[in-house]
Amino acid sequence: MIDTAETIYVPFGGLILAAGLLLPIIVIIIRRSLKAARDRKAGHHHRHEHDWSVPVLDACSNLDSVFHRWDPRLKIFSLLVYCFLVAALTQIIWAFCALIFSLAAVKLAKIPFRNTKRRLMAMVGFLGMFLVIMPLTVPTQPGDLLLFFQPVPVPFNVRGFLLAILIILKAFAIALIMEPLLNTAPLPVTIQALRHLRIPDMICQMILLSHRYIFVFLNEANRMYTGMRVRGFRQKTNLATLHTMGNFLGMLFVSSFERTQRVYDAMLSRGYNGTFPVYTNFSARPKDWLFGIFWILLGTGLLFLDRTGTFIIW
Amino acid sequence: MHISDGVLPISVTIGCFAATIALTAVGVRKTPAESLPKVAVVTSAFFVSSLIHVPLGPTSVHLLLPGLVGILLGPSAFISIVLGLTLQSLMFQFGGITALGANSIMMGIPALMIGWLFKQLKGSTLKGHAIAGALGGFLGTVLSVGFLAALLYTGGEDFLGVGKIAFIASLPVSIIEAIIAYFTVIFLFKVKPELLK
Amino acid sequence: MHDLATDAELPKEGQHLFQLRSLSFNYADGHCALQDIDLDINTGDKVALVGQNGAGKTTLVKHLNGIYTNQTGSLLYKGQSIQDDNLIRARRQVGILFQDPDDHLFNNTIYEDVAFGPMNQGLARDVVDERVRKALERVGLDNLMFKAPHNLSYGQKKRAAFAAIMAMEPEVLILDEPTANLDSKQEQIFAQLLQDFGGTLICISHDLLFLYGLCSRAVVLDHGRIHHDYSLNELVSHRASLREHGLDFTFRFIDCCHSSESHDHSESHDHGESHEHSETHDHLTLSQSDKQTAVRILSPPMEGVPGEKSQVIRLDNYSFQYKDGTWGFKDINMTVNEGEKIAFVGENGAGKSTLAGCILGIKQGAGKYYFKNNLITHSGREKLWRQIGMVFQDSSDQLFCPSCEEEVAFGPKQMGLSPLELEKRVTEALALVKLSGFEKRVPMNLSGGERRRLAIAAVLSMHPQVLILDEPTANLDPRNEELLLHILHNLPVTQILISHDMFFVNNSSHRTVVMHQGSILSDLPTSDFFEDEHLVGHQLDYAYKNICGREIMKMQEAVENGG
Repeated sequence: MIDTAETIYVPFGGLILAAGLLLPIIVIIIRRSLKAARDRKAGHHHRHEHDWSVPVLDACSNLDSVFHRWDPRLKIFSLLVYCFLVAALTQIIWAFCALIFSLAAVKLAKIPFRNTKRRLMAMVGFLGMFLVIMPLTVPTQPGDLLLFFQPVPVPFNVRGFLLAILIILKAFAIALIMEPLLNTAPLPVTIQALRHLRIPDMICQMILLSHRYIFVFLNEANRMYTGMRVRGFRQKTNLATLHTMGNFLGMLFVSSFERTQRVYDAMLSRGYNGTFPVYTNFSARPKDWLFGIFWILLGTGLLFLDRTGTFIIW
Repeated sequence: MHISDGVLPISVTIGCFAATIALTAVGVRKTPAESLPKVAVVTSAFFVSSLIHVPLGPTSVHLLLPGLVGILLGPSAFISIVLGLTLQSLMFQFGGITALGANSIMMGIPALMIGWLFKQLKGSTLKGHAIAGALGGFLGTVLSVGFLAALLYTGGEDFLGVGKIAFIASLPVSIIEAIIAYFTVIFLFKVKPELLK
Repeated sequence: MHDLATDAELPKEGQHLFQLRSLSFNYADGHCALQDIDLDINTGDKVALVGQNGAGKTTLVKHLNGIYTNQTGSLLYKGQSIQDDNLIRARRQVGILFQDPDDHLFNNTIYEDVAFGPMNQGLARDVVDERVRKALERVGLDNLMFKAPHNLSYGQKKRAAFAAIMAMEPEVLILDEPTANLDSKQEQIFAQLLQDFGGTLICISHDLLFLYGLCSRAVVLDHGRIHHDYSLNELVSHRASLREHGLDFTFRFIDCCHSSESHDHSESHDHGESHEHSETHDHLTLSQSDKQTAVRILSPPMEGVPGEKSQVIRLDNYSFQYKDGTWGFKDINMTVNEGEKIAFVGENGAGKSTLAGCILGIKQGAGKYYFKNNLITHSGREKLWRQIGMVFQDSSDQLFCPSCEEEVAFGPKQMGLSPLELEKRVTEALALVKLSGFEKRVPMNLSGGERRRLAIAAVLSMHPQVLILDEPTANLDPRNEELLLHILHNLPVTQILISHDMFFVNNSSHRTVVMHQGSILSDLPTSDFFEDEHLVGHQLDYAYKNICGREIMKMQEAVENGG
């Protein structure tokens, strides 16, 4: 097998690669320590232990853009279809185009960079693993280009690397579309639209309820944790820490079970009979339909080009 | 550890979605209607728990908790997992909307299995509960990562390496989950044993 | 005023709105919550439902709109038992406001929450919309209609929950501790809203002063039984029966009503009935001498400022700014001396708790902070927990150990003490808060008052030099409150108290610091503070309650002199 693959030896490549890998790590370390110093100065400490902040899902829903004005039902439906079409892409060039479209959509929806960065950063770990591991572990196939970065003895398979890049491009393209999809209407409106799209009522209600009580429990957890810290609790890698964390989770579950009963009582006492009342009406204009069709066609077009094989491997 | 969008072949992505819908429907049917709002509220607590960092040497890890979800919710565990992942997917993009099906399968089926297993093993003593809890915490995570590796493998041999490494890398997390589940179950047994029934 | 529903639905002549006959209720664990309740409530009644924590008040009201179904005995609403159509009717007509507003606000906008009830009543959309707007306008939240509940302050949430009930235009309104955790300004808004309500009112509260202005009838529950059912005036004027049910709140206003002289005599009266329940409440019952101290806790304000040496805390130009840029407080200068008891008062959001967080070392602001004459730096702040202890607001929800013993030992354990010392500290701290013998009990299963004291023990076991308490008296029944006052009075450590409760402040502090919008408005000996005419301007007005208090005391005197 290995002899049918094309092999290139890169002299000192290992060193170059090492430098290339180390440089970003050094940059990250420097930036982190700078930020830590800044935080200390500003009084924001315990960053690592205590940062359970939850991003507010629809913080940008009060802006105005094409996406904000779009009928949520059509927005959700067509963008979801688009996401699946993008997920089906197999060639880097078209995945790259999809990423460009996503960036354009984010720009058009006036989503601040902060939000998009947060979404992308959340995936860096998982995708980074692909980028590092795939080129080194992909089994060699005929026609593969193998690079030996001397003196590293393991071949760097370019096909594996490109596969990882393809995945990253697709993941980013889809992740970015989430912003105009979810962040351009208040959550209840989005969920209402899901209801119109035949998602069962109970499921929609459960999403809303969970979303609401996340903030209540976050607050509870934070208060409990502060109380623990004030009584001297510091996290370490040892059994005592895990014991305390186990109690902490247990307490969180107990109080959540108790709250479920109280919430349910409150719902009953306001006439709850198993269904939540529905009150939002949507109206789709021709423009909305056109915009929806545009996105589906865009996705279909990408998939068509992808599959007709104009570019086999870029 | 969640799968992101665009990793799995499109046929597997859609297949997992279909399976998730089917299992959710079964779950909804098995849960009394009045319990569904309660499952939703408890899910928020699991969501918050999964945000908590636990230190591991120089770094820290998040908890996955499929074992504890199974132990506490039994047959309703799958709905709770789907719900929690939907919210995570909506809010954080640990794994996006197209990968929701695969992630639900990966976490939800182990949760159901652990729920069943815990019931068989716990007995009536504190010791029995604690050991069953630890086993649940450990196996829940191991099975989840096992599912992850298996799902990755559907993308072809190319993904086998990533799957293996992910599996090995998650072993320390599995041990932490086992210990935490052990202590959590002890706590619950002493404070509110009816939650473990 | 309030529009009642159609006449056809009103009970017929001679028929009670609620008729309860030998109603009993047991929880699944066998615990008996209600026993043989006979009670009639008529349309238009204003009922105060009082009793100690755990007396069964909440369980009782949950029957009235069918959340609990009667296990034994009968319960009629408008002449019919609460099931089928009448259950739906009861749920639509009887509104219950539970204690924690977060339980009521389960939607993602206030608008939806308020619309939930009217929607379930089957009203048309435009009617619902009008009701929602009207209800929110009345509680002053119309500008926050589309906000998510977690963006609101506690007082706002409480009012939103109230609006959610009122939008259903209930005929009967049931309130469970409506004023818990509210500052006096919010409390007054609430009192006003309730006085405007024209229907039947059932109000659970420990705050008899609040009830006094609102209700005319008092039903006293004790251990699941109805012990008294008479007028509120009768209840409040009988100190003996108040004390019997752990409701004697009069210790609170003896000083501030400026009639302590005349009251000292009544103190010697025999409270014969008070021993009836002594078996179960032995640890709670204070001896007569204890009572005397509890009543007259207010020691004279410290004369002069003690010397430099005894300064424990000093803040110089200290400020705190939140991440979003708003100021928690700005340019604070203050000192706390050893052994002193300082109260911080001010409206919600004035910066009191943030300041406590800074003193405690969990927050860091800008400026100079000296603890025992040492400038506190970043690393010093990390060690402050060994010297300063804090009992947070709602601290009883923050207990996380499966036994009281472990809970109290947690802090000392983090300090690295030996097992022998740990045991000693646990025993000592539990004894201090009168919880000896509770070592193996589960904190979650204790009563509210016991949990509060356990939270204090968990801090005291660390032997702090400074103890900070945030709203320690909130939601306690008077008996537990009096006990807490007594415990705090006998603690020799420096205390920083944060409270809305002027009676508590008056009784337990030497010095009172008023905070308003992040700065210190005044810093006076407590006695001078209560002379201050500007109290009203600081939204700390307790004049209303003071008037009620004086009226009640007059009645008590009349009864005691006459009887």
